Amino acid sequence: MENKFDRGSALTIFPSDRHEDLMALALSLAIAALVYFLV
Amino acid sequence: MVYTQRTVWPLVIGIIMVGYAYLVQSGQLEPVIKFLNTGRYVGEMLTLGYAFGGVAIAAGLWHLVAAPREGQSDYYFSTIAGVMFIMMVAFVVKWGLDPLMANWGRDAQPTLGFNFASVMNLNYVVMGILAGIIVVNVFKVPGWAENGVRLSRLGLKTGVILLGALYSFAELAQLGKLSVILIGIFVLGSVWLVLIIGVRRNLPNSMTGVLSAGVGVCGVSAAVAAAPVVQAKSLEIAYTIGTILLFGVLCMFLFPIVGKSLGMGYVQFGAWAGTGILNSAQVAGAALAFQPGGIETLKVAEIFNITRVLFLPIIVVWLAIWYVRREQAAQRDVQKVDAMQVVISKFPIFVLGFILMFLLSSTGIFAPARHYQGSYFDNSEKALIKKDRSGKEINNHLKAEETARLQKELDKVKRDDQKAALTRLIENKKVMSEEDDAMVRGVINSKALSKEGTAVLSKAHRVVRHTAPKIAQFRDLIAWFFTFGLVGLGMQITMSSIRQAGGQPLVIGSIVGVIKAVGSLIVVMLLVAETI
Repeated sequence: MENKFDRGSALTIFPSDRHEDLMALALSLAIAALVYFLV
Repeated sequence: MVYTQRTVWPLVIGIIMVGYAYLVQSGQLEPVIKFLNTGRYVGEMLTLGYAFGGVAIAAGLWHLVAAPREGQSDYYFSTIAGVMFIMMVAFVVKWGLDPLMANWGRDAQPTLGFNFASVMNLNYVVMGILAGIIVVNVFKVPGWAENGVRLSRLGLKTGVILLGALYSFAELAQLGKLSVILIGIFVLGSVWLVLIIGVRRNLPNSMTGVLSAGVGVCGVSAAVAAAPVVQAKSLEIAYTIGTILLFGVLCMFLFPIVGKSLGMGYVQFGAWAGTGILNSAQVAGAALAFQPGGIETLKVAEIFNITRVLFLPIIVVWLAIWYVRREQAAQRDVQKVDAMQVVISKFPIFVLGFILMFLLSSTGIFAPARHYQGSYFDNSEKALIKKDRSGKEINNHLKAEETARLQKELDKVKRDDQKAALTRLIENKKVMSEEDDAMVRGVINSKALSKEGTAVLSKAHRVVRHTAPKIAQFRDLIAWFFTFGLVGLGMQITMSSIRQAGGQPLVIGSIVGVIKAVGSLIVVMLLVAETI
């Protein structure tokens, strides 16, 4: 995929893999909290 | 650059999703659901249809009404439409194409002599990825969805982290030992092999180094992590990524077909895919394609995948030393690179997230800490005596005729410890401890009793094992995160990215990739038992 985006890369909207990993971690912890409190 | 495009499509997608959920709820799609045999999906059709449909309608209105300006809100809100586009494709494939193919496969079996859907492994995972590949290469991803498609890798990484919640110490200890041995041999072996062949074929050291990390460890991310220590050029990284993608995509479709034809079990296939497939995303794709109805294979495969990512620091330091020595031997100037600094800055944090989630789960907050594959032992009265929807009490203790059946067949059991466990079961009308439960399972597996006696034991075992509701919820969520990620991944597999593969890197990568795939298959078939 050619990069036609002015931010991130062709594969991700985040500026780096580290940002993407941290966002995945934050999202996972938020989902885990929801499962813990709601299920 | 402004990312939000004026379009009616997200709104249309939202209306279709909500409309579909409404038709399911009102029973008007009952004949279709019956024909496709998708009754088990009705719950998620309603929840996901309304939830994603609602969000898509809101996003659709934003796309029509808002006057977007360049900035954060435009950049991030514009991803929602792409997410909805991927989910729409995933819904069509999972609730429509997958069961339709299964029906056609069964119908055509008498004529063809085989079930083509089963033989070609045409399930929702394979068709989802194929749909993505077709969309991007034949029709092109619509402009309004392009930004959101770039969130698919986030979906895969989130799925891997959440997967950590499903393991127990017992499982991890058993799988961990096996994975460290297998991965140790094949990761170090394939890195070494690429380095040897690369040198023999006079490839530049930087090219050989980056290719060895990509082929040996975990694909694209390993290649990117190793690139600075071997001072790889952009073109060399592109060659490596092209080789890994081409080989990984082929493996993703071929591995499940080979696994099924060899009659491999979940543990065997997971171990093979996690060792033999070059790239992390394709490991998940192959594991889910092999077992689309559950995530046991995915769990095994990801343990192997994560183990090899944990080898990354060792490989980076090894390559740094190898590269400096090779360049110095050739009397070339080498720019010094701090390998440890590279490891710290490039190590994939999501692997640590997986471990963190496992540690959180092992405190017992999602399921009793002693759970095994999400199921735990509980023989309390509260767990055995339940009420049905009408409020009628259901007592799951063994009935008099059932204990009488066991008493009659007790002498068929030869082992004293198993006999003692069965005696306690007969006296108390329920399995008395986790150890007794293991004994009961042993008698079931040995088939020492008659069919009726074994059925009584199976019932006694079943009623004291419970699936933790939170773990069940995690399973559903994880399966959808991977489905989303893999359909989106298909939309990123363009012919231009695969065409980057070529020349010597493709030859060397293919040789080592095939050796790794075949070698790990042989080792797994010989050494890995289905139950460990």
